[in-house]
Amino acid sequence: MLSEKTIVLAIVIQLFVAGFSSFLVVGLVSLYSPDDSQAGLVDTAVAGDDTDDLTRAVQQTPGLGVQQYTSREAARGAFERDEVDAALLAAGGDEGRIAVTVLVPDSNIQTTLVVTQVRTALRTYEQTERAQRGDQLTRATLDPPPRSASNNYFGFTYTVLVPLLLFLPVFIGGSITVDSLTEEIDRGTLELLRVAPVTLTEIVEGKLLAAAAITPIQAVAWMTLLEFNGTPIANLPWLVLLVAGATVVVIVLGVTLAIATPDRRVAQTLYSLLTLGLFGMTALSPLSPINAAARLAIDTPSPASYVTSVAAAVVAVVLLIGVRSVVPWERVLGE
Amino acid sequence: MARWEISNTAGTLDRRSVLLGVAALALVGSTAVAGVAGVGTTPNDGLYRVGVTESSPFHTPVDRATELEPVSPSDDRATLRVVDTDTTDRSARVVPPQTQKAQAALSAFGDAVRRHNTQLMNREENQSAAFPVRVTVQYVVQSDTGVSVDTGGDGDDDSNNPSDGATTDAATPADDTVSVGTATPAVTQSGDRTTVDGQTGGDDQTPRRTATAAEGGGLFGDGDDGAGSLFTGQTTGSPAEIAPPFPFGSLILAFLFLVPMNFIVQAYGSTILNERIDRRGELLLVAPLSALDIVAGKTLPYLAALGVTTVGVTLAVDGGVLSVLAVFPVALVYLGATFLGAMFARSFKELTFVTVTITVFVTTYVFVPAIFTTIIPVALISPLTLVVRDLQTGGVATTLGEYLFSTGPFYVASGMLFLLGAGIYREEDMFTQRRVPAKLLDALDAQLSGRLSVLLLSAALIPFVFVAELLGIAVLVTFPEELTIPVLLLQVAVVEEVAKSLPLYAAFQRDRFERSYAAAVVLGVLSGVGFFLGEKATAIAQVVGLDNLPLGEAALAPAGLGPGTTLGLLAAPLALHVTASAVAAIGATRTWRQYLLTLGLAIGLHFAYDIAVVVVLLE
Repeated sequence: MLSEKTIVLAIVIQLFVAGFSSFLVVGLVSLYSPDDSQAGLVDTAVAGDDTDDLTRAVQQTPGLGVQQYTSREAARGAFERDEVDAALLAAGGDEGRIAVTVLVPDSNIQTTLVVTQVRTALRTYEQTERAQRGDQLTRATLDPPPRSASNNYFGFTYTVLVPLLLFLPVFIGGSITVDSLTEEIDRGTLELLRVAPVTLTEIVEGKLLAAAAITPIQAVAWMTLLEFNGTPIANLPWLVLLVAGATVVVIVLGVTLAIATPDRRVAQTLYSLLTLGLFGMTALSPLSPINAAARLAIDTPSPASYVTSVAAAVVAVVLLIGVRSVVPWERVLGE
Repeated sequence: MARWEISNTAGTLDRRSVLLGVAALALVGSTAVAGVAGVGTTPNDGLYRVGVTESSPFHTPVDRATELEPVSPSDDRATLRVVDTDTTDRSARVVPPQTQKAQAALSAFGDAVRRHNTQLMNREENQSAAFPVRVTVQYVVQSDTGVSVDTGGDGDDDSNNPSDGATTDAATPADDTVSVGTATPAVTQSGDRTTVDGQTGGDDQTPRRTATAAEGGGLFGDGDDGAGSLFTGQTTGSPAEIAPPFPFGSLILAFLFLVPMNFIVQAYGSTILNERIDRRGELLLVAPLSALDIVAGKTLPYLAALGVTTVGVTLAVDGGVLSVLAVFPVALVYLGATFLGAMFARSFKELTFVTVTITVFVTTYVFVPAIFTTIIPVALISPLTLVVRDLQTGGVATTLGEYLFSTGPFYVASGMLFLLGAGIYREEDMFTQRRVPAKLLDALDAQLSGRLSVLLLSAALIPFVFVAELLGIAVLVTFPEELTIPVLLLQVAVVEEVAKSLPLYAAFQRDRFERSYAAAVVLGVLSGVGFFLGEKATAIAQVVGLDNLPLGEAALAPAGLGPGTTLGLLAAPLALHVTASAVAAIGATRTWRQYLLTLGLAIGLHFAYDIAVVVVLLE
């Protein structure tokens, strides 16, 4: 009984939410991990005692440019006049350490960018200095591999965007169920359908199945869109199984709440809280649906990922049979 | 009335529901605590398989990293292989295939190795040799960065402009093509502030603990050791311990204000719609109360609940009075929009979509601009920007003018939403299944009584127009200027002409006024005048210097607010508004199609005028 309009509206809203969140994700990641973004050169002032190694470390870091200053005061002044984007002021510290004071601009995004770049340079510098003191150390560090050219939204796409696109429709599907059922019970409109030559149970089940069928279709559509967008999605059948199972579980929860508390306010609030809680709990368990979705989609599935999909489906079937045999539909809806 | 609403709500809660609710809350709470504590599975567990022999020293870091799963090098499922020919030395060769996944795995592997190195060094006796470099990060305000805007040019910016010398210079992507009335960035030292971390000289204990605690690597942790505090970042320690500050920390906190609002608004929408099902509200309607009384009574408990949660969140995130004051109008708009939505919706399903739409729209409107808090002055259209400033230590102070600019439209808009909704709080609209457009016309019509009310209504619709136009600016500000100005002007023309003529169309369709051309012209003129007067409210925009932004200039200048306004420039927009709305009004007396036709004409007229003004102004 869902009119086509509401489905269209639901999809439009999801599109909007997905667009919004992917904008946020991509934006946040590219800003948080600025090695990857094609930002301009960060001009760095270097000054202080014995800065040869430090200067070399800064030069070796891609994205940083060096400006040498004769004194720390001069470098600080240049930074304050905005002639350079960051300043590294070296001085002798306690116990033979080198104390480096880093001046970075105090403005949200630029700060993060600059700190990340400067940190890379300082780590190179630390390695050099540590190697020079190697005789005082009993353990040796491992050589890290060269920096990769990876973009950081790769991981985010699979761990955030894919689960979001898969499970948001599930959540909305359950919410619609609560709505339509509380309303039918409230208005008593199901009564009118009694004259039809089908049983009430069949009508309700038909409605629920219709609601449950939409989410896997949406999941396939989203994943296909991602494919088009250059993000390969593996194991699509398993993902669909996972989503279908989760949908049925959530819809059964919605039905139960709608019958238990016919007031929509209470039913919806309880539904939101319980779904969130259940979802969060399972997400932390070894059978995490989020992790399963991510690993299946990125094509590194573990046995647990398959088990999660199967378990969702099994729980769904059990719940469906349970609801069918336990809930006295005729009495609940016929009142 | 309010008391009745509370007791009514309490009555719908039976003991079972309360128990379930408490259980659900406990579930959510414990999950959140466990999630924050880093217990259990994270979304990125075992995302990449790394082939490495167990005898290799590189096996341990791979095994410890949550993202990585060690497998035998001969395993063909491995994303990445570590070729360690000599397991006694400290280096190995990694040959990643040229795929995105392998590159991402390589990056994760590098992080794991660096993290492992830090742990090794933490166990060293001689800490000064293990960590020979000690870094202190100071966040300093440079003389040329900042949000505050110099109104520039007019000379008397004493009251509204606390920080001179800072301009929007270099903040907008394309401000070199057009620069009208922007002052040159005079470098003054007065605005300089050196905000130092305040926790300098922390001893060795603190940083090291942070490094081990952050081992799990949360969602936003970049996988390196010492993710430090999520929001502020470590300021002193070895280079590995320096964590870049999370750029939107205070924005995420500001977002916390919006989350509980959604729940309250859900309940509010339900109670309004409940009245409309099965004519339950009939008893209330016949009671000796005005529609406004009923609406106010039903709204008050929810408004109070919103107030309590807002204050609660403020205390939790350590915000100030400004946060509460900035969030309050947002809450009002939430309620107002939900109220109108619940009056329009025909079923709970529709209501769910209405609330979701409202949530998405309001969230976008307040959230997206606030991302750019420190970059563009347009960010001020969102009250969340004020919250972000309030939460940032050493953030920019907010002036009264800025407060009014960002919250004013919200106050007026929520008032209008309630008025529109209350106008159709009557039997023929509440209990019938009228279509939404018809109800919208009813709502507009209900606000009109005499001819002068046309003038008032069209002036009162300004906040919506303003919000729509500002949203346009905020969306378009990132695109190249040559493309956006025509688009923006077209959007402005459409929004303004619709706002001026739709009430007239509603009035004619409901037979409030005689359907003659003479009446149409008179009403059109009145509506144009009302709109023109209301538009002067945008003068507030000048207070915060929105006109320094080329796009802001383009949107506001045609309204006669450009620099160097003369009497002639003032009269021109008045003539424009009057003519255009009179044209649109003529069609409004007839059918829907004819209205669309004349509306199109009016939009064309408006657009042509705006283009002409902008071209003249920019030359």
